[in-house]
Amino acid sequence: MMNPDQKSIFWVIATLSVAMAPQIVRMPLPIIAMALFPLLWRIGAELLGWKALPALIRHSATILALLTLFFSYGNVTGRRAAVSLLTVMLALKLIESYRIRDARLIVSFSLFLCATQFLFSQGILMPFYGAVTVIIALVTLTQLHRKEAFESVGETPAITASIFSELGFSLRLLALAIPVGLAFFLFFPRWATPLWGIPETTLDSKTGLSGSMSPGSIQSLFMDDSPAFRVEFESAIPQPPELYWRGPVFWNFDGKTWSGSFFGKNIAAKSRPDDQGAPWRYTVQLEPNERNWLFALDYPATTPMDTRVSMDFQIFRREAVTQLLQYSMVSNPDFADTPQMAETLKTSALDLPNGFNPRTRELVQGWRESGLTGRALVQHALDFFNQEAFYYSLDAPLLGKHSVDEFLFDSRTGYCEHYASTFTVMMRMAGIPARIVTGYQGGWYNTMGEYLLVRQSDAHAWSEVWFPGDGWTRVDPTAAVSPARVNRGSLGALSAPRHLLDYAWLRNMRNGIDVVQQRWNDWVIKFGASQQAKMFSPLGLERMTPSTLVIALFVAIGLFSAVLLPFILRTRGPGRKDPLQAAWQKFLKRLQSAGCEIQPSNGAIELAHEAALHLPGDSRAIHQIADLYSRYRYSPLPPSLNELKSAIKEFHPKKTAV
Amino acid sequence: MNNARLTTQKYAYGRRFDQWILDRVRQKRGSPELPFTLEYRHIYVMPTRFGLWFGILLALTAIGGLNFNNNMALLLGFVLASIAQMTTLLAYRNISGLSLVGLRAPPVFAGQPARFKVLLKNPEERFRFAIQAKSEESGDCTDIEPQETGQLELEQTTGRRGWMEMAPFRIENRYPLGLFRAWSVIIPRARCLVYPAPALNPPPLPKTGRGDYGSARQGEGEHFHGLREYQPGDPLRRIAWRTSARHEKLYSRVMESPSEDACEFNWYLMRGGNTEAKLSIMTAWILRAERRQIPYSLEMPTAALPADLGEDHRDACLKILALFQL
Repeated sequence: MMNPDQKSIFWVIATLSVAMAPQIVRMPLPIIAMALFPLLWRIGAELLGWKALPALIRHSATILALLTLFFSYGNVTGRRAAVSLLTVMLALKLIESYRIRDARLIVSFSLFLCATQFLFSQGILMPFYGAVTVIIALVTLTQLHRKEAFESVGETPAITASIFSELGFSLRLLALAIPVGLAFFLFFPRWATPLWGIPETTLDSKTGLSGSMSPGSIQSLFMDDSPAFRVEFESAIPQPPELYWRGPVFWNFDGKTWSGSFFGKNIAAKSRPDDQGAPWRYTVQLEPNERNWLFALDYPATTPMDTRVSMDFQIFRREAVTQLLQYSMVSNPDFADTPQMAETLKTSALDLPNGFNPRTRELVQGWRESGLTGRALVQHALDFFNQEAFYYSLDAPLLGKHSVDEFLFDSRTGYCEHYASTFTVMMRMAGIPARIVTGYQGGWYNTMGEYLLVRQSDAHAWSEVWFPGDGWTRVDPTAAVSPARVNRGSLGALSAPRHLLDYAWLRNMRNGIDVVQQRWNDWVIKFGASQQAKMFSPLGLERMTPSTLVIALFVAIGLFSAVLLPFILRTRGPGRKDPLQAAWQKFLKRLQSAGCEIQPSNGAIELAHEAALHLPGDSRAIHQIADLYSRYRYSPLPPSLNELKSAIKEFHPKKTAV
Repeated sequence: MNNARLTTQKYAYGRRFDQWILDRVRQKRGSPELPFTLEYRHIYVMPTRFGLWFGILLALTAIGGLNFNNNMALLLGFVLASIAQMTTLLAYRNISGLSLVGLRAPPVFAGQPARFKVLLKNPEERFRFAIQAKSEESGDCTDIEPQETGQLELEQTTGRRGWMEMAPFRIENRYPLGLFRAWSVIIPRARCLVYPAPALNPPPLPKTGRGDYGSARQGEGEHFHGLREYQPGDPLRRIAWRTSARHEKLYSRVMESPSEDACEFNWYLMRGGNTEAKLSIMTAWILRAERRQIPYSLEMPTAALPADLGEDHRDACLKILALFQL
């Protein structure tokens, strides 16, 4: 089956497989097939002795792969598409790699592929992925080196290593390299601004809230326990009902989908809350979501440098967040948002498509005719949700054209977006300007790390209604149906588990482990030019310039080398004594102390004869030992060394006067 | 990679660089006295072609990581660079301390490749992995266990008889990843004795005694064996005149003549032909006499050896022939 010569090709396949693993799970199915087919073919070819594929098939496979890539991604300039291309090409290279050069090409590109994976995720598991890839690649390269060295000779190497010693060697190599690697990481001067831009503003895997809302869009996030952002409070922590993290705001409704308004997004906020006396000061660590909005508590008083605040208090950034982003915020809830509103805005906050939801219109009309207006009508609507049989649940049925009607009168089962959407439509029907705000509500306070973890499953939607003088006021219809949603978080509001492995203890453990991820983000991922410059400020060095950094780098490498070099270059002379010789020396010493004069040049048998003359009482033992020694030394079938050792151990010659 | 076959790399970095290193070594230390221990000042370390390629890939990774401020990619690039840098030390350490204790080659016949044995002693308590010896013509590779002596064999084509100097060679290794090559150039002071090439179809063995030289050995069982082209040393009586006349070329009859007597190979009694051809025939005679266990004596203008048999005698005779008039 597998001969030793094939060992290295299996290692090459292993290296590529491990390196491409995170990429594979994110690629479209046809491309996964294109990447796995050559891999499996090669394994089959090695095990079953298949012949190399003819050039025609190989070339057509390459063309097929390129076409599949193009049709799956639409273009091949995107980052995900480019990395998929690299993956597939490397896999295809396997079917024609029969030389060491090709094998090394695959291994080195696998390491490059590993580096590209960090563009998509720098989570806490990625260092392990990187370490495993490096160790396997090192084993492979070691094997290829030996193969290359011995191939010209045509004989197999005398020394063969076990897989454990190979892995151990690679692990040691990696461990020894980490200090110097870290020194480079810390002191290699970073670029404050990129030399070339990120070619695309977003990656292909947008996560979290989207720029519009239709029934089900937030519900789908509910299954996602990955962190959206983490918040560290410098001030007191707000109570759960106050933790509304404001995100995209929607004004326009087409009967099914809510979307943002051009004015709302592009006109800057006229006035901002007071920064002084603002109760909430905090720092947000936002996971990359590939969107360009930031999240904050109502209402943002001071905002990060490179952002703008729109009229509806969304915070926009110029570029999408493709990397972990940290920003500091001050929020003040004591603020009246737009006490006076222009007529055009009022109109758009009342606008509804014609011909939708007649039954709801009738219901609201009835309320208005009974004399309800303003706040009383809002309260009436909330009471309606609270007192009628509405359910807060994930199992919302699909809604048809008159989505609000169907929800309000038929299904009565829905998630926050159903309630927010329905309520907002009802308010508009009642002549009260209303809009939808999406974002996150609540969060889990990690006492170990002292930060608030907000997950994707905390995504939420609520409404805002406008009253002259008071401005926009938050109304959360979900809270009317299920107060637990707001007080105990999204998971507390549901009784049934979301999926098979949805246990409370598992969630808690996951939340606890999140502290590691947070630290990792804090110390490693967000380390950049500015952190580097301030690195030694506790030691009194206020700002590190590139030149001082380089000096620090050399000092660090020098220090590590002083420790590591003697360790790496240590030599061990012929320290270990030959055990046979050691035993023999012991024997000679005993003879000497018994008064025997010894000629070291004498052979064992001669020496024994002479010694036996001196010590006639011990002559048998002396001859036996000398015989064992010479047999052990010269016989093709030597006796066991232990026999000789024990014979010498028991040899106690009596001292004789000479 | 089943049918992969790597040709021995002739030059480490192209002819001119190798020549430059060689000239430097020749100037600085010349031929070493054995035993010669490889120390740090004898060892060069440079990246291999794969090492250069790997370096480019690492630089790309680092530039990308710096540009996008992607710390994980940067960290990976730096750690890999650090590993690569460390392998320079490991490659150096893998050959430093090795001791060149012997260089010898058993004599060969001209035209056969000389096989120089390079003996490398590992005096330390650690393994040496994939130590290679390389010359322009050939290469060899071996692992050397602790306190063992490894033997590497370098072939060198031989042209003419006489002493042949061993060509300069490298002791090198690319341990452990093949990224860097640590090597030392050795200008050896070793030579191989090249015997004359034995003639392909030598005349039959001459009989004892001056008078009989050139005449057929009068053994009882002498019988006609075949024809072949005339060569110097063939007795005139053996020439097949009729066949020769037909072909306008001299042919001799080949006779088989088993005999217990000693035979004498005498330079002065060889007629005609040039020196090399005569030496070739005498070489072939010596081999044949050894094979048939017929004692033989050798008389040359430079030396004479009495009739004898055995490897020592043969080697002594062949050596006289190899070095004749050189």
